Amino acid sequence: MKDILTIVFRLTVSCLMAAAVMGAAFIVTDKAKKHNEHVREEKTMYGLLGYGARKPVPPTLALHQIYRYVITDQGRQHIGYLLPTGREGKTEYTLVLLDLDGKMVSQQPTRLDGDQSREKETRDRAVMEAIGPGKGLRFADHTIVVTDSGKRVAYLLGGKFPGFKTFINVMLALDPQYAMLGLEVLEHEEDPGLGAEIEKNYFKNQFKGRSFDVLKGLQVVKEPLPEQYRQALEAQVTEEDAARIMGQYRAKNIYALTGATISSRMLTDGVKGLVTKCAYRLDVLDRVLEEQKIAVSF
Amino acid sequence: MCPAVGISTTVMNGLMLGAAVLLVQVFSSVTIALFKNHIHPRIRIPSYTLTIATWVTVIDLAMAAYLPGAYAKMGIFIKLIVAFAIITMRLEMFACKERVGDSFWDAVGMGLGFMVGMVVIGFVRELLGSGAVLGHDVLGFKPLLFFILPSAGFFVVGLMMAFFNWVEVVYKRKKRTQA
Repeated sequence: MKDILTIVFRLTVSCLMAAAVMGAAFIVTDKAKKHNEHVREEKTMYGLLGYGARKPVPPTLALHQIYRYVITDQGRQHIGYLLPTGREGKTEYTLVLLDLDGKMVSQQPTRLDGDQSREKETRDRAVMEAIGPGKGLRFADHTIVVTDSGKRVAYLLGGKFPGFKTFINVMLALDPQYAMLGLEVLEHEEDPGLGAEIEKNYFKNQFKGRSFDVLKGLQVVKEPLPEQYRQALEAQVTEEDAARIMGQYRAKNIYALTGATISSRMLTDGVKGLVTKCAYRLDVLDRVLEEQKIAVSF
Repeated sequence: MCPAVGISTTVMNGLMLGAAVLLVQVFSSVTIALFKNHIHPRIRIPSYTLTIATWVTVIDLAMAAYLPGAYAKMGIFIKLIVAFAIITMRLEMFACKERVGDSFWDAVGMGLGFMVGMVVIGFVRELLGSGAVLGHDVLGFKPLLFFILPSAGFFVVGLMMAFFNWVEVVYKRKKRTQA
């Protein structure tokens, strides 16, 4: 009996010690880790927009964050958009509530400013404060409007949808007409050598440059990928050639990966869903903003 | 062994994993050697696992913070070091009986050996699988795609073991003839 007590005591003490060490390590490294994630995210975003080592980001380019929330109030659902509203050099956020038909319900200023909005907890708290107590709040998604000297050049949106095994997490860039600028697979757990090929250039670049109308009706076909197209997708030919070849296939369907038709289809359907929903929401939001004359920064 | 063969597709990956294992081994061995008198013999294996898990978590966090490039590539495998039998084995065989200094050097030796093994496996797989060494294309073509796939890791490990067995046999034979 005494033996068991010592065992329990010693195990507890060792667990506490281990927890202390891990906690200390977490506190020390957390800031740097968040910073790295942020840098990586930014790199992906600028990469999708076509900026990189060879083409630096122009200083006139600005990113404006839109956060979408679903707010439940006594059984009724509202969509809350947290929008950056521009004042000279300082970003403030306004919460605009829409009902499900796309009509504006109300708008409230929040206490959030530019840098704070990045932290999910501070953001959620600020939204909670703005809508008042006793309401349900759920974060839905995050869209970024990219402007160059005040003119809209692109939208960046992230999204998660089911893949063959678990979830596929993507980020994609659309132009103002909702045509695809680029697609990046951030996270997935598909099978290596089969479904995992979705992150390779020869698959994901098939989405590049497709117009909104094509994206809406995009299908996956089980046909071998033409060799010429593959070379263009992997950028093995000159830029002009690649653009010409890509142009030929722009209105055609997506060629499925060999041995991973379901992964290919899941990704295509997921992207299709993200783009159509985003286009609908942004159209509704733009109309409301214009009707109500809300001065947003994008 | 599974994470090891999963990740050792290039020399660089092998080296990084080897370095991570070396650090975990050294820290765990020293910790166990320090606390060996306080560990109840009936719960020594859970204590080892706890120690290893702690150090793996610390190294995982540190890598995510200060080596983001490498972490993006092998982050999920770092967490699997917890299950590496080689570390638990050294703790059970050596660190829980010997002094701190001896345990430290034992751990360094073990870790370095593992690192060399990983680098050799990575070298073979990178050369045969993608025709490159340290990311530089040296062959210009890809001889055997099979070596990039996880199963080839076991294959290379098997070949290495066969090689060392052969060396041992030759060495013993030589000794016998000398005697």
